[in-house]
Amino acid sequence: MTNGGYFGRFGGFYVPEILVRALKGLEAEYERLSVDPEFNGELNRLLRTYAGRPTPLYFARRLTERVGGARIYLKREDLAHTGSHKINNALGQALLAKRMGKSRVIAETGAGQHGVATATACALLGLRCEVFMGETDVERQKLNCYRMNLLGAKVNVVKSGSKTLKDSINEALRDYAATSDYTHYLIGSVVGPHPYPTIVRDFQSVIGRETRMQMLAETGKLPDVLVACVGGGSNSIGLFHPFVEDPGIEMFGAEAAGSGIETGHHSASVVAGTEGVLHGSRTLILQNEEGQISETHSIAAGLDYPAVGPEHAFLSKTGRAKYVGITDQEALSAFHLLSETEGIIPALESAHAISLAVIISKNLPKEKTLVVNLSGRGDKDVSQVAQLEGRL
Amino acid sequence: MSRISGTFKSLASAGSGAYIPYVCTGDPDMEFTMELVNSLCRAGADIIELGLPFSDPIADGPVIQGAMSRALSAGFKVTRLFETVTAIRSSGLRLPIVLMTYYNPVVRMGVGAFCTRLAKAGGDAVLVVDLPIEESRELDEAAADYGLDVIKLVAPSTDDERMDRILEKTSGFAYAVSAAGTTGSREKLASSALSLLSRMRPRSQIPIAIGFGISYPDQVRQAMLAGASGVVEGSALISIYSEEKKSKALGLIEKHAREMKAATRI
Repeated sequence: MTNGGYFGRFGGFYVPEILVRALKGLEAEYERLSVDPEFNGELNRLLRTYAGRPTPLYFARRLTERVGGARIYLKREDLAHTGSHKINNALGQALLAKRMGKSRVIAETGAGQHGVATATACALLGLRCEVFMGETDVERQKLNCYRMNLLGAKVNVVKSGSKTLKDSINEALRDYAATSDYTHYLIGSVVGPHPYPTIVRDFQSVIGRETRMQMLAETGKLPDVLVACVGGGSNSIGLFHPFVEDPGIEMFGAEAAGSGIETGHHSASVVAGTEGVLHGSRTLILQNEEGQISETHSIAAGLDYPAVGPEHAFLSKTGRAKYVGITDQEALSAFHLLSETEGIIPALESAHAISLAVIISKNLPKEKTLVVNLSGRGDKDVSQVAQLEGRL
Repeated sequence: MSRISGTFKSLASAGSGAYIPYVCTGDPDMEFTMELVNSLCRAGADIIELGLPFSDPIADGPVIQGAMSRALSAGFKVTRLFETVTAIRSSGLRLPIVLMTYYNPVVRMGVGAFCTRLAKAGGDAVLVVDLPIEESRELDEAAADYGLDVIKLVAPSTDDERMDRILEKTSGFAYAVSAAGTTGSREKLASSALSLLSRMRPRSQIPIAIGFGISYPDQVRQAMLAGASGVVEGSALISIYSEEKKSKALGLIEKHAREMKAATRI
């Protein structure tokens, strides 16, 4: 399917020997099922009848008028079941786990969106589910913890390291090393060792495939520009991938510049990272001179991760996609802007994409079209923003 | 013949196996690391495994995670590790030194630069926990250029065909991981350890050291009888010194290490 999981010089399979058999088994099983009509039929049926796909493509008229540049369309992943694009991959991999005869599923989560999506898919398919979540994130996102419990999942609070997303991945990998005989590790982004970046990309590519058809139906042509936020990079790869071979289409990833790249408090691994190996992949990571992984920051917990999916590292090196840092402040402004102009409260992660889309649209002629992936809804962030603004 | 091969050869002719303690460099500080290495050598350690602390040690259990995190908080630098190797050599100790690490710090320094510095300091081998044979070509070539052995791991889940490829590529010795999961002491030698050894032994002449969960002399004897040529012990040693006062800990460790070493003689 890919060249040993490599995207140019990025990707690969940097894992302890203990994990090799499980990952090779997953690769073989996925290669078989990804072309199995019955598996795909079942997945597509669930995406349609359960997850609410296709999600709408919406022309943001008032936002476009406010900006005064290229026409801005929103791909409404926020309207998918559980409130974000995470359900696309969770359903795909949970079905895969079931077909592989695994009775238990584990996952990592930062903001809790992937944890909730995984818990949901497991409830639907009758799989036992445990989610690893950093202690810091548990405190930031208490409601999502309860939501996972409600769905029958167990939340394991991670107290090691920086107690955030990267440490949850560490813990999930440790668990998987001991339990892979009966456990599937349902990773939530296009990160990790081969075959994960490919599997997650494939399950998320439904976003870009729908966007293609919807843009053709709506405007009679493909979009000129695509914009999405990038933490690990699953929603952005999902949007970009089906357009990679169309040379005229520009792609932009919005990374979390936190308090500003120059402050060092950010999560912008493409913009400010260097090559290294983390969580099984050779990619761009935020690290010090010694090769120790940096602590990261973003107002959006879902972007708060010190690496990026290897395919993004590749798209960036080849220049096919461009990556731009958006600060916490810029994301907050976009959070308000979209709420006020369109009546849509975006997730703070997606607000980074909105902010970048506004900047790009402003500098383009009005006949151009731009699609932003609105990867998640902002309900989960409302109390955090209210608190920040001293309103709660 | 590398220094490691020589060590295993002379141990075998003396009817003994190798006792290989793992030391997390810089936990809690560099001075203690040197004292610990000296104590272990007095107790009869045959090879020293020096661990390079990493911020995200996915193959390690809570004890080694804790040790790495203490070392990093105390300001551990990779250059200190090479200085430690140099210091061990200048103190007159000639036993083989294996550097155990995750791959990222090696990539960051540059694989070639890392191997040169390790070899110049007097190290003998490198073992990278998260580098399976599919990805290890660059390291294998650089290590060969500087005369370093590259120790590869075999797990209970490794199938026979793959095991042959790993045993073909490993140099110095092969590291057998006793059970699925992470490092950390276990009460008993896992049953997977014995079946792994019985699968490995007939396939190659290379010495096999077994690690992960080794902390009692009885486990050592069992492993030696099952065909191991050596044992690696890590977490149990760290538990002794992180729970006891420094002065008392070194004495306890030395006593424990003597018992472990004695158990390698069969």
